[in-house]
Amino acid sequence: MTYIMLLLLMGMIMGLVFVASNPSPYFGALGLVAVASVGCGILVNYGGSFLSLVLFLIYLGGMLVVFAYSAALAADPFPEGLGNWFVKLLVVVYMMGITSFSFLFSGKWHEFSWVPVDEISEFSVFRGDVGGVALMYSFGGIFLIIGAWVLLLALFVVLELTRGFNSGAFRAI
Amino acid sequence: MSPYTLTIMIFGIGLGTTITLMSSHWLLAWMGLEINTLAMLPLMSQHNHPRAVQATTKYFLTQATAAAMLLFASTTNAWITGEWAIQQMTSLIPLTMITMPLTLKIGLAPMHSWLPEVLQGLDLNTGLIMSTWQKLAPFALLLQIQANNPTLLITLGLLSTLVGGWGGMNQTQLRKILAYSSIAHLGWMMLILPFSPSLTLITFITYIIMTCSTFMIFEINKATNINMLATSWAKAPTLTSLTPLVLLSLGGLPPLTGFMPKWLILQELTKQELTTTATFVAMTALLSLYFYLRLSYAMTLTMAPNNLPGTIPWRLQFKSFSMPLATTTMASITLLPIMPAMSTLLKL
Repeated sequence: MTYIMLLLLMGMIMGLVFVASNPSPYFGALGLVAVASVGCGILVNYGGSFLSLVLFLIYLGGMLVVFAYSAALAADPFPEGLGNWFVKLLVVVYMMGITSFSFLFSGKWHEFSWVPVDEISEFSVFRGDVGGVALMYSFGGIFLIIGAWVLLLALFVVLELTRGFNSGAFRAI
Repeated sequence: MSPYTLTIMIFGIGLGTTITLMSSHWLLAWMGLEINTLAMLPLMSQHNHPRAVQATTKYFLTQATAAAMLLFASTTNAWITGEWAIQQMTSLIPLTMITMPLTLKIGLAPMHSWLPEVLQGLDLNTGLIMSTWQKLAPFALLLQIQANNPTLLITLGLLSTLVGGWGGMNQTQLRKILAYSSIAHLGWMMLILPFSPSLTLITFITYIIMTCSTFMIFEINKATNINMLATSWAKAPTLTSLTPLVLLSLGGLPPLTGFMPKWLILQELTKQELTTTATFVAMTALLSLYFYLRLSYAMTLTMAPNNLPGTIPWRLQFKSFSMPLATTTMASITLLPIMPAMSTLLKL
């Protein structure tokens, strides 16, 4: 299990480095999908399987749209992936940056112990992730309402920003 | 913009700031900041002008970056200490990391360069919201985290007062000048934050009063650059004679309100035996004073040449609602005598 976890964590770092080092949008969106999948795998290993399922479905649903748009908008015949020297250089720079920053966090408790949510299931009545969902519908009810309102607000904002055929904010020049 | 949409957006701006102000949990504070940013965007691009849309895009990118970094820093804090509360941050790395996105959100040097660009793309009313209400939520968070790293805040504060004075020197656009003035004032607030948060609050309140007054004066005169300001002297003679006082109050000259925060801050810095810092920051205030003085010179101290019909608008009746303008103008000129009351009431 530890080796799978190590593999997933390394995959996540590598994938994020690839996304951050400015490849073509085509490969960038693909990298984001890969990172999201790996992140869901990490969540499963930490004991949040329900959370991971929700994240996977919603995030990949959104990423499908992003991927379709970026493939349609930036349809260049020679997309730049890892073969480009600039992307390679950025990958190396980011890897060195991450390695040096990781020393800031070394030597703490989290380096030696790995506690998934349900490791301490003897002490809790609920499963960890499902308990969180239940909390959202009981004590956190107000913030569930605020969250729903924010989604509605985001809809209004997007409609207002894209409204108008010739006079809207987003139009072809 | 339709009045219904406008209501929803203004309600959203209010809700976001209120949520941030009431929260003691980083996730909730982050939510409030995001709501605030989201609701501000349609207000910024309501005039469908390419420059307004550009300003909106720049604002969105900046604020989204800052919010993402804030979320990252607060999760790092929760990871290291297991604590989400705003006022109980003990670990130094997240504390330093969280100061940076907050200063990016309010536009302090060296993360200031978005502010003049964004403000230049907005109309003056939206600019007023941008430089007062939008600073409120990140500022409240900055006041709440325990500033145990004075070097960082002093450096940010000194850089901001310097850049705010220096950047505004050669500007002819009023909105950019006001943006640099905002940077300089926020620099003063950051400078005193590690020593006396009450003084930071006083500075913030006087800054809001003076900035409101200045934006509303420019809005009434329909002035967006120095030339338009110079030819607007005939619009309202009383306002023309009061404007230099408001501007010099922003600059911090003695019998006016703007002198109060600068006086108290310099006194507090001297008490902390930081006389070099106090001298330096007083010198950078001179840079700001120079461009305020130039604005006063262009508007009031000279009579700009104009054609004959341009000199008579003061005969026409004044239609716009001038109560907020009158209140804030008087407050930004005459509040210095109640300094003891203010510094007692605003003790944190």
